[in-house]
Amino acid sequence: MNKKKQKNFIHGLSGLPWAALGVIAVVLICAAGGEALLPQDPGDLDLGAAFRPPFWLDGGDLATPLGADNLGRDILSRIMAGARVTVIVAFYAILLSGSLGALIGMIAGFFGGWVDQVLMRFIEIQQSIPSIALALLLAAALEPGLSTVVVVIVLTYWAWYARIIRGEILALKGRDYVAFARIAGVSTPVIFLRHLLPNIFNTLIVLATLQVGQVILFEASLSFLGLGIQQPDISWGLMLADARQYITNAWWAITMPGIAIMLTCLAANVFGDWLRDRLDPKLRQL
Amino acid sequence: MTLLTVENLQTHLHLQRGILRAVDGVSLHVDGGETLGLVGESGSGKTMTGLSLLRLLPEGSGRIAGGSIRLDGTELTELSETTLARDIRGSRIAMIMQDPMTSLNPVFSIGDQVGSPLRNHGIARGARLRSAVIDVLQRVRIPSPDQRLGDYPHQFSGGQRQRVVAAMAIGCTPRLLIADEPTTALDVTIQVQIIALLRRIQGETGAGIILITHDLGVAASLCHRIAVMYAGQIVETAPVRRLYRAPAHPYTRALLAAIPRLGDKRARLAAIPGQPPSLIDPPIGCRFAPRCAERMDKCAQAPPLTDLGDGHTASCWKLGTA
Amino acid sequence: MPRFLLHRLLHGALSILGASIIIFVISRLSGDPILLLLPNDAPASVIAAMRADLGLDRPLWTQYLIFLQHALTGDFGRSYRWQMPALKLILDRLPATIELASCGLLFSVAIALPIGVLSAVHRGGWIDRIGRLFAMLGQAMPAFWVGLLLILVFAIKLDWLPAFGQGGPSHVILPAIALGWYPVAAQTRVIRSAMLDVLDSDHIRLARALGTPERQIVWKYALRNAAIPLLTMLGVYFAGMLGGSFVVETIFAWPGVGRTVVEAVFSRDFPVVQAGVLFTAILFVASNLLVDLSYGLVDPRIRDAR
Repeated sequence: MNKKKQKNFIHGLSGLPWAALGVIAVVLICAAGGEALLPQDPGDLDLGAAFRPPFWLDGGDLATPLGADNLGRDILSRIMAGARVTVIVAFYAILLSGSLGALIGMIAGFFGGWVDQVLMRFIEIQQSIPSIALALLLAAALEPGLSTVVVVIVLTYWAWYARIIRGEILALKGRDYVAFARIAGVSTPVIFLRHLLPNIFNTLIVLATLQVGQVILFEASLSFLGLGIQQPDISWGLMLADARQYITNAWWAITMPGIAIMLTCLAANVFGDWLRDRLDPKLRQL
Repeated sequence: MTLLTVENLQTHLHLQRGILRAVDGVSLHVDGGETLGLVGESGSGKTMTGLSLLRLLPEGSGRIAGGSIRLDGTELTELSETTLARDIRGSRIAMIMQDPMTSLNPVFSIGDQVGSPLRNHGIARGARLRSAVIDVLQRVRIPSPDQRLGDYPHQFSGGQRQRVVAAMAIGCTPRLLIADEPTTALDVTIQVQIIALLRRIQGETGAGIILITHDLGVAASLCHRIAVMYAGQIVETAPVRRLYRAPAHPYTRALLAAIPRLGDKRARLAAIPGQPPSLIDPPIGCRFAPRCAERMDKCAQAPPLTDLGDGHTASCWKLGTA
Repeated sequence: MPRFLLHRLLHGALSILGASIIIFVISRLSGDPILLLLPNDAPASVIAAMRADLGLDRPLWTQYLIFLQHALTGDFGRSYRWQMPALKLILDRLPATIELASCGLLFSVAIALPIGVLSAVHRGGWIDRIGRLFAMLGQAMPAFWVGLLLILVFAIKLDWLPAFGQGGPSHVILPAIALGWYPVAAQTRVIRSAMLDVLDSDHIRLARALGTPERQIVWKYALRNAAIPLLTMLGVYFAGMLGGSFVVETIFAWPGVGRTVVEAVFSRDFPVVQAGVLFTAILFVASNLLVDLSYGLVDPRIRDAR
């Protein structure tokens, strides 16, 4: 028995997507480490180093291993510093949109009837506006910045969670123990916390991991358009927006932050797929 | 004149659990104009036998492991996949499948689907195709076929769809027709019509038919000879009257006892106790022995095929000793 | 048919109405529109007069009704920047956006269809693997970065294709690829799994049994079945193209609605933002509706059921 458990544990470990976890770990360390980890001050101007190519090219220098931008700032340091914004946005956006969506989905599924009807209409309406358009509208109305980005993502993604969680709740509602709890007069909040939430937890975790990549892309797109993170904060999307102006001079300024985005998303998606197959394979059609 | 001769056919399915010997040493022959019934419970390998003749086995896992299949003197097991598709499937051997509701493509018109084998085997092309299709549909008795060419499968009833499937099969006047449970999914009155249709097609074309069925009643109404399959092997072959009057194998007797008789309304089927053996690791000796009421010690060894005369053969130790 | 149609139309109208409320409310979050319309030193009496004139002294829901009434008659106000009706500006730019979105969709389907089909036919083979790798990559690359890389390689380094603006057919190639890149992965998956389902069906087995050449089975008989799920999702993909067009149009200086709205946001040109976003929402809803209605074109079963 014990041996079998141990074997399963080891078997589980061997299937882990180690490369993806490695990338995620690096991003998290960069985000948590702050200034201390950075090889150079990411805001440090050095006009002598402007447009310096990566170290393996002629004129490259190991001081700026991935090259320097138009103001001579070290691209590697800026990418590492940018990880922080990525992680913060992803964390808050997912936490809030997941909670809001789960709550609305639970309410819609549990109460049914007109409550469900109204909430489902809301979801439909929300999905009739492209998320970038919504973001543009909000950015025009509010000050752009980190919190606006989070608000936009929450407003965009809650419906996605709500629809899937609602379906789960509808299935759970038919179960005996939920029906018994209702008949026994257990209060609704208690049913939500004790009986429903634990059962949708796996789904929520899987949805949240699968959302990470999309949130990263979304934040980068908003920042690129100038509607997201603002100077002097550092974000990968914003770095690309800067680099776009001198695309003819320094291809590395365009490629490097993009590779950071790509690797992070790739790692998050691979990990999300792995987690989904483990925890909730029925979500595979997403 | 013998049309098809199958000798010691072995078909294996390579599964994760091991090699499943779906067809294990089947030998049979069919003459032109003759109908052979292949009868057995589900899982006895009768459908696999039919699919093996066309080499339409599950991709990746299915393989013909041995034996010979000769059609009009051509050894089919040695043909390449392309030759088989071009010269045999649909043109010399055709197939009718069990469920007419799913064997037609829902998004293509009847005219296209019936015309497809004609086109692919070079029977009719271009302007002549339309009249050829109408002609085939007439032969399977689809009313006013010229007006129905553009219709889709869902606009036809189950019985009509099976007629359309039959039309697809007989378009190229195949020498051999494999009908896999062609009536199982249909109402009784429609069953009778489809059986009559098959018999008429045979009369017109002189084709041999292999009728695969679990229903001895259906087999009796159409077949000249019947081969009974159990666990991947043929246990008894006999002309149809002989099989019903004097079944030699205990399994055949058990099957016949399981047929519900008309008028005998609440008669209980004499179900055969037990389960067929696993074909991944089949028992040595007679495969029916574990379920056989007349089991003897000898049955632990494989019984020889006994010739009872007049084309009646069976594999059972009882016959050898009798 | 009329019942189904009516139901869908009603839902679509409701969604657009809801979207208009959201757009109105968010626009009002930004503060008093009067201050944008008049110079900072305008006398209080002028402000009050203008406020009454525009109905801004009334309750918010009345203001919404006025907004809606104007919107229904096609009046979204004048663009501050372009000095022309906002609606006309958006309508002028609309064809360019639809052209780009259509080309993007065409590109993605043209890539996804063969890869999806071949992945299903050679399941587990090298095409399947490479397809999956590309799908993973595609979903990890933001459209604007793909666009920048395309400009870098094909416009700057190789100098094969123009990178900016609208002109001959060659101008649309790069932006269409940038726009169509992302959904390729999802479309490939849809096609692949639909093909796997179809290839395992009885009618394909029968077609094989009757000697239909494998190429015909895959590209004719199976594909038309497998295309139905893709077709049912075309509306969603087209809508995705509209969403992506804001970024891609901006990078490639494509004179469409997306870029116009992005510019309007920076110049605080509210009438244009409102009209543009509402129009995108309408296109969004309409493209979904249109696809619902066009199922019948490919699926004869549904054609008759309505």
